[in-house]
Amino acid sequence: MSRADEAETVNVTVNGAEIEASPGELLIDACERAGAYIPRFCYHSRMKPVGMCRMCLVEVDTGRGAALQPSCMLPVSDGMTVETETDLTKKAQDGVLEFLLVNHPLDCPVCDKGGECPLQDQTVAFGPGESRFVEEKRHYEKPIAISDTVYLDRERCILCDRCTRFANDVAGDTLIHFMDRGNNTQVNTFPDEPFASYFSGNTVQICPVGALTAKPYRFKARPWDLEETISTAWTDSVGSRITVQSSRNEVLRLLGVDADSVNWGWLSDKERFAFEALNSEDRLGRPLVRDDDHQLVATGWGDALDRAVAALQGAAPERIAMIGGARLTNESQYAWAKLAKGVLRTDNVDSQLGDGLPVEAVLGLPRATIDDACRPGGTIILMGPDPKEELGALYLRLRHAVLEDGATLIEITPRAGGLTGLASHSLHPRPGELPALTAALVAAVNGEAVDTAGVGGGVIAAAAAALDGPVTVVLGRASLAETGESVADAAVNLSRLDDVSFLSALRRGNIHGALDAGLSPGLLPGRTTLSAGSERVGEVWPGLPESDGLDTAGILAASAEGDIDVLIVLGADPINDFVDHAAAVAGLEAAGTVIAVDLVRNDSIEAAAHIVFAAAGPTESSGTFTNLEGRVSVCEQKVTPPGTARPDWMLATELAHRLGADLGLDSPESIRAELVSVSPVHHNLIEEALAVGRIDGVLVEGNGDIAAPVSTTADVPSNDAYSLRLVSTRSMYDDGVALRHSASSRGLARGLDVRLSPTEFDKLGVKPGTIVKVESSCGQLLAPAFADSSLPAGSAHVPWSAAGSPAGSLIDAGAPFIDVRVERA
Amino acid sequence: MADIADYFRGFAVTFRKLFEDRVTGEYRGGRAKEGQPDDKRPKPERLHGRHVLNRYEDGMEKCIGCELCAGVCPANCIYVRGADNDPENPTSPGERFGFVYEINYLRCIHCDLCVEACPTQAITESKLFEFSFTNRSDAIYTKDELVVGDDGKPQQMPWEDWRDGEDQLTSGWMRATSSAGDHRYEGVVHWAGELGYGVRAPELGQSAEVASAPADGGEVE
Ligand code: SF4
Ligand code: SF4
Ligand code: SF4
Ligand code: FES
Repeated sequence: MSRADEAETVNVTVNGAEIEASPGELLIDACERAGAYIPRFCYHSRMKPVGMCRMCLVEVDTGRGAALQPSCMLPVSDGMTVETETDLTKKAQDGVLEFLLVNHPLDCPVCDKGGECPLQDQTVAFGPGESRFVEEKRHYEKPIAISDTVYLDRERCILCDRCTRFANDVAGDTLIHFMDRGNNTQVNTFPDEPFASYFSGNTVQICPVGALTAKPYRFKARPWDLEETISTAWTDSVGSRITVQSSRNEVLRLLGVDADSVNWGWLSDKERFAFEALNSEDRLGRPLVRDDDHQLVATGWGDALDRAVAALQGAAPERIAMIGGARLTNESQYAWAKLAKGVLRTDNVDSQLGDGLPVEAVLGLPRATIDDACRPGGTIILMGPDPKEELGALYLRLRHAVLEDGATLIEITPRAGGLTGLASHSLHPRPGELPALTAALVAAVNGEAVDTAGVGGGVIAAAAAALDGPVTVVLGRASLAETGESVADAAVNLSRLDDVSFLSALRRGNIHGALDAGLSPGLLPGRTTLSAGSERVGEVWPGLPESDGLDTAGILAASAEGDIDVLIVLGADPINDFVDHAAAVAGLEAAGTVIAVDLVRNDSIEAAAHIVFAAAGPTESSGTFTNLEGRVSVCEQKVTPPGTARPDWMLATELAHRLGADLGLDSPESIRAELVSVSPVHHNLIEEALAVGRIDGVLVEGNGDIAAPVSTTADVPSNDAYSLRLVSTRSMYDDGVALRHSASSRGLARGLDVRLSPTEFDKLGVKPGTIVKVESSCGQLLAPAFADSSLPAGSAHVPWSAAGSPAGSLIDAGAPFIDVRVERA
Repeated sequence: MADIADYFRGFAVTFRKLFEDRVTGEYRGGRAKEGQPDDKRPKPERLHGRHVLNRYEDGMEKCIGCELCAGVCPANCIYVRGADNDPENPTSPGERFGFVYEINYLRCIHCDLCVEACPTQAITESKLFEFSFTNRSDAIYTKDELVVGDDGKPQQMPWEDWRDGEDQLTSGWMRATSSAGDHRYEGVVHWAGELGYGVRAPELGQSAEVASAPADGGEVE
């Protein structure tokens, strides 16, 4: 809340100087602004104060005489007089620290917090200087693992309640709590229930002592070894701001940065520990080529590039295709777009792997920011993936908006998710029937509500009645067994509501940057189309494709028919990530030459790549990242890439050079400058703005030339009595290639199961956990079956890309719904 | 014409020195031929020489890998990394041990700040400075080379010139300053035992008056 919004201010005297503060501001914050830092342990500006530690005691006089009061619990009031450095305050601070240290071990030399420890720092700055206690201290078993990634050392805990408040209030995972009384009070998990929260790493970051430590950083370095730079998290599209800390050319830790408009300092564990995959032994340090025995062997860059050039030179533009690109920085995406569309003149370019949305639904509707979605008193319609599973930091923001800022949440999802408990209305339509449901919802705002898509008319009417104030639709592809088109149709329906805007929930890393760079069929950089933007872009690019090309599903189908000579796989793993497993395998195997650009060998590379370029990872090259709002923020290089791996943009310019074209791009800055010159929507993305927006980034607004989507889908027939309609959603930890290479998160991948609505489960007549057979028209799998009461009747859920047999084998790309039969195995 | 006497006056110091006692010693670096003298001059008690990594009397290493020495080193020549102790077979007491420990003697200025910084008296200096190497990797002493042997004595590298008894003088500076780095502890036994020696006595010139030892943090008059 910016203070300028408040008409009224109050005057407070801090150490003799009068300052203005807004009513409701906490005294501890007002004093800090006035330059009088008050020591604290439990207070955290993003959480509710609790007054646990008493370190922030100061002398406050509100007219009834000075008295010691905890400044973190006291809102300012007019005429308040505060003294932060009196003898009495000093004595209180001495006393509090002395008591905190009574049971605190002398662990500093072996404690991971040592050197950056608030308890150390404040003891030196505000403490008594010596201890009078010689008695034996309290002892507990030294660190206990409370989850796969977090250790707890109870001896060091000062009972500040930060971690427990975070888990309970911010993340909603009440898995750790205070136990026992008095001297024996301790933080702990419930018996046999680990602290299995997707957000557990945040407690490590905010613990003011070394009581909570993270396994991936344990004993790796001391703070004085670390060098840091600001960057952006890359595992999802929220664009959480981070600091990357490294020592000796190895990234050792990522910390969340408090960007007010993005992640508020929080990170999901997937974002936080993602660096482990970059440090993996399996990183590619050299290019690979397939030898005569069909083995991938290391080679030099000259050889790998020449082979790629030879393949590309012989291919007609429409027989070249490129899949992927969401891993890359904006600059690398632009360079590859220029290479593919401008030099190779193919429009068969798609950065989405059939698991996203039509670009019109992402770029062509009125767009909202996270702050818009979270505005107090607004309405949020969640019509997309479960943010808790896919967009962790966004989940925390939405949760806060509903719980603390009075936002109303209406959920239109295939099944219950992380926010269901907070939703005032949960609508779970039958798979494939989102358009019908949203049409009914919009109609119900001013009219009658009828039973639609398996949702009762009364529920729809109640949800319609709750649509009040500005509406933000969080729009994404909840189930991979439905098409993006049906989600887009539903979005078209919702766009008829008053004062509505859309926040994209496409999840894949820098996918929004990829779309802005034109990595999609029919698109050019700067949110424009091949027809609308060709003049502007054509001035700078050597050429342009002649007509709109194929999307990923089309490319893979064409390839399976033998119509693709060169397939470039740009940081993607279609075999694991494309919705239709069989189509991905067939398309990759039939392509003439597959050129992969990646960090590690993934399943697609193993199966089909002929040439593999080793690319630099997110902490190894500089550039910018575009998040789901369109906000552009910097990613700075911190360490050098392994071996001779190169930044992706450099590979594009090198390939172009060998093909006889000059991209005219020689640094991330020059690429950014060219992007700004061809793209009117990026007009504010100048270096000065990036410097000013170092924390919050620069918001690139507007729809450019992209029109809103138009409805396309027809009515969906209902399924017959024997089959169930498939729902497939993602979870935070799936069997993706990054997770497989992270030492501490590898074991967290969700197992495979099939969940049925309770009636269907009863019909099956098996015990929960019994292995059953799930069969669709294109494949089958075996999995244990369970009931899930949030699933609409007549549907079955199989998680996407769980370890084991992939749900992709059941899915037929492009089918508006998938019917499966579930039988006893 | 230049005065020839002025010319010789310039050599006055030179000629006078010819007839004075020589200050250089008969040191031949341990490579003297039969009958030739090869003496080291006696060194001051608290000379700073090449380091050793000490062990406790039970053989456990004292280094806990805390990197305080590396952090304080003005020449930036220490490289330490910690790691988890194997609970079944610990290297040092507690959770953490020094997994990597290296000192680069091309850089070390023998200031002994590392010795003062060490919370466990793991790193101390011997009196040895007669060591010269012919390649860089010899100059970077690893943990295996720095840690004392099973007799508590420094390991002797081929390029080091140790003489009888010299390998006993390995913790003098630490005993002079005391572990707490607090002058009030001077001469007070306030250091841990060492492998091969037990708790060493205070150095010459220090009082062994344990009775005057201040209680932890107390005042000493
Ligand atoms: S938490 Fe802080 S004060 Fe406590 S042992 Fe660790 S570094 Fe020292
Ligand atoms: S573990 Fe850390 S954050 Fe949690 S109560 Fe203890 S000191 Fe506070
Ligand atoms: S003696 Fe001084 S220069 Fe040498 S390692 Fe120790 S701290 Fe560094
Ligand atoms: S910071 Fe105010 S009581 Fe802890």
